[in-house]
Amino acid sequence: MTTITLNGETCEVADTLTVLEAARAAGVDIPSLCHHPGLGAYGACRVCVVEAEGPGLRKGLMASCTLPVSNGLTVRTDSPAVEQARRMVFELLVGRSPDAEPLRDMARRYGVESSRFGQSAVHDECVRCGLCVRACREKIGTAAISFAGRGQTRVVTTEFNAISELCIGCGACAAICPTGTVYVDDQRGERAIRRRELTVARFKLEPCLVCGTPLVTEKFLLRRMQALPEDCQPDVICLDCKRRRTATSAEMLEDLWPLAE
Amino acid sequence: METHPVDDILSRHLQVTGNLISVLHEVQSHYNYLPQDALYYLAKRTGIPITRLYSIATFYHFFSLKPKGRQQIHVCTGTACHVQGAQRVMDELERKLGIKAGETTPDLQFTINEVRCVGACSFAPVVVVGGETFGEVTSRKITDIIKRYSGDGLPAAAAKPTMVPTPPDAALIAAATRRAINVKVCMGLGGVAAGAADVLKLFGQTMAERGLEFTLGKKCVDQVGCMGFCAKDVIVEVTLDGATTAYQFVKPAMVQRIVDEHIIGGKAVEKWLAGPEYAQFHSKQHKVVLGACGTIDPEDIDAYCRIGGYQTARRALTGMTPEQVIEEMKASGLKGRGGAGFPTGMKWEFCRKAEGDRKILVCNADEGDPGAFMDRAIIEGDPHAVIEGMIIAAHAMGASEGYVYIRAEYPLAVERLRHAIRQARERGYLGKNILGSTLDFDLQVKLGAGAFVCGEETALIASLEDQIGEPKPKPPFPVNKGLWGLPTCINNVETWATVAKIIDKGAAWFASIGTEKSKGTKIFSLVGKINNTGLVEVPMGIPLREIIYDIGGGIPHGKKFKAVQTGGPSGGCIPAEHIDVPVDYENLTAVGSIMGSGGMVVMDEDTCMVDVAKYFVSFCMDESCGQCTPCREGTREMVRLLDEITTGRGTPEHLSALQELSAVTRDLSLCGLGKTSPNPVMSTLRYFRDEYEAHIYEKRCPAGVCKELIEFTINEAACNGCSMCARQCPQKSITGDKRKPHVIDQKSCIKCGICFDSCKFGAVRKA
Repeated sequence: MTTITLNGETCEVADTLTVLEAARAAGVDIPSLCHHPGLGAYGACRVCVVEAEGPGLRKGLMASCTLPVSNGLTVRTDSPAVEQARRMVFELLVGRSPDAEPLRDMARRYGVESSRFGQSAVHDECVRCGLCVRACREKIGTAAISFAGRGQTRVVTTEFNAISELCIGCGACAAICPTGTVYVDDQRGERAIRRRELTVARFKLEPCLVCGTPLVTEKFLLRRMQALPEDCQPDVICLDCKRRRTATSAEMLEDLWPLAE
Repeated sequence: METHPVDDILSRHLQVTGNLISVLHEVQSHYNYLPQDALYYLAKRTGIPITRLYSIATFYHFFSLKPKGRQQIHVCTGTACHVQGAQRVMDELERKLGIKAGETTPDLQFTINEVRCVGACSFAPVVVVGGETFGEVTSRKITDIIKRYSGDGLPAAAAKPTMVPTPPDAALIAAATRRAINVKVCMGLGGVAAGAADVLKLFGQTMAERGLEFTLGKKCVDQVGCMGFCAKDVIVEVTLDGATTAYQFVKPAMVQRIVDEHIIGGKAVEKWLAGPEYAQFHSKQHKVVLGACGTIDPEDIDAYCRIGGYQTARRALTGMTPEQVIEEMKASGLKGRGGAGFPTGMKWEFCRKAEGDRKILVCNADEGDPGAFMDRAIIEGDPHAVIEGMIIAAHAMGASEGYVYIRAEYPLAVERLRHAIRQARERGYLGKNILGSTLDFDLQVKLGAGAFVCGEETALIASLEDQIGEPKPKPPFPVNKGLWGLPTCINNVETWATVAKIIDKGAAWFASIGTEKSKGTKIFSLVGKINNTGLVEVPMGIPLREIIYDIGGGIPHGKKFKAVQTGGPSGGCIPAEHIDVPVDYENLTAVGSIMGSGGMVVMDEDTCMVDVAKYFVSFCMDESCGQCTPCREGTREMVRLLDEITTGRGTPEHLSALQELSAVTRDLSLCGLGKTSPNPVMSTLRYFRDEYEAHIYEKRCPAGVCKELIEFTINEAACNGCSMCARQCPQKSITGDKRKPHVIDQKSCIKCGICFDSCKFGAVRKA
């Protein structure tokens, strides 16, 4: 175990944690946009700023998501310097993405209502946290979307902004997006993965084998089938039907072995 | 069946992993751009996701997804070029070709590219077309350049120098053959830009014609690397029986007379000799690293061996333990010359002690700082010094492989380095059992692709790993977990080139040069508004004044010295009040700048400091990878605020917002590029706040640079009506009768300044 001081209180934390993880485990609030427990540290959004000082570490502001805990580390998440820097980062993000409501809600919680910035930028809702790109590449193993360009032109997109050949329509990118920039659009048995005006990919949805409700893309199904052993193939069945089936089998059990009084 | 060009390219590489950037370079040079089909084909053949190829192709500025023109016009917008008017060159070129930077003319003849420093700072502003470097470009020169390259491909051949028909007396020639003759032609970038290749060829030809190709069994004419004094190129040094005479501004037409009158006749051609400033320029310098640069032929390994080359490596490998080498490096006090100044010996020790059997050395030759070109000069002038340093380090750290990551903007350096590595391998200095020891070590050259951020070590590693140049948070540090996760020691070119000198002459000798905390010498590229532009090597701690005035020869045209910018985009501006500051790591930091990689851009009263700040932050904005918020969004906001100030829309709130943005960008950016990007703003706000205030409160640019805040007018009393300005004005805004004072129509004037430059009578005013 490692001993750190968090906002004046001594805590025993696991050696492998980052300051962000340790603080959250201790119930201390630190905001973040680019961090996800299932993905490695990325250090892009910088709203998880803390003030830290320790043996071999000069006192200063730093991102907590990439800072490993170490014995004797002193961390403040609520000092005036932290609050000021965090407000600035939020103000910069809000300036670029004034229409991203989830971002604005989070910014408001940390005292940022409006922004002085962003006049010369091309506005969009994407905060470039990279979660969608990393989830697709690292967790799904697909790399259907990636960052293109650099600096001001950095954007999440497909190859040549065309319909992706690689996308399997799983929707992980949309599920992990903190601002709703990437989303799944299911309509009339078809699925589109979109980022604003860009369509990442389009699919016909395979129906639930029981009720016929459009359910899943063929590419995704194939990927699941390849991943699972042959005797453990996935059911193409929607959640409602699955629940109903479970309930029915429970009733059958009761018929066989009536509960004792 | 015909093979696909991509297959041809792939067949030239043992594997794609680690070579993807090179493969893309080759695909681009085959098609002149990266066609979509070729990228899809490459993806299919290699299994690399097409999105990754697209991501790389759009990240690195060298790659283009659109067809490029047959002639690529590269306009250098490095710092030195910027202060010498590169923007006007660009404006003029854009106007003449009717396209913007980055675009191609509809007939696919020309593409205009903006490049950040080609390292020819002494000739600023510079334009490069088809491998030819044009210096001190004016609007008239642009017309010539466009004309020269408007044909089908090859430019019109340069006129051949006329030969003097009478060769000298045979007896004199016979006498000359008994002397030791040596002619050195500066073939550094500056020399080449000034036409040294022709001069060199002509010296060779003329000497051969006179029967003087060899004397005393030695070749008479040598190409050498950068001699340093770029302002006077082409420099030629003629040595007759040990006595050396230097010529400056040598043109091909002058060669024959120098050979006949001086080398054969024994009498120097007085009017072409280098002036007293040539001796002055060199006398205050202390050449340790640049010692061989400009004196030996960089393409000849024997020339390097004759001055003791590879002897130090031999001694280290056969007579010193790795620990002894590291102790020596630590005792020398050498700090990394790339900018951060981390103690080299300590870094080596970390790497040696790091876990893992396979260790990697990297030479960082991604010299991206605009206004700095010492790494280029070292590689072009003395490439074996870098290789020898890395061999000694490989022994010290137990490394088996090394990479040199070098900018694609430096084609000559790349060629010379590859050549040197080949030679070293042939002689057994690289490869298995080097110099009879147990050490196996080899080097590979890896090209960058136009991304400044790749000079940052974690981004450099990402680039070597076929990724886009995104930096990673530290720790882990590269010495523990670097390239492919292996312990990796990254040092800069100048650092590697210093190693053999230290091991050869000893740590005590090296530590005796310089100051208490900053040991040894440092190379600076002295450019901008200074007389003796060039490359200088001085002991640490030398007062800045001595560099500017004694070596640099002061400010041209009797103008007032205003500031010197050190450390590139991450550095700061040092004002006149601190001109006596000793130049070392600690003192430069104390005055708000940094040592950096050693760029020194001198600014005079005609340089606007707000404009300079805007220039540097714009550079960082363009070069930011875009990963972290403060750097991506913060640099853009600083540029916007500075732009509003320089165009007369600034308010007092702009200054406080600039200060807040500077603080958050410095404190919270992910890597060094972002963290240091506000330095130019902070240092100019500290020393030149009055200039900011003049722009904001008086809507005035004191230096007369910011277009929106100045007006060009004609002083009637001084104008004699020669109509030169009216003829040059691209807007036809100047009117007037012949031999009568002219007037400028302010409405249509675009403030390009051509009238100001073209008036020989000082009648055009700028205020």
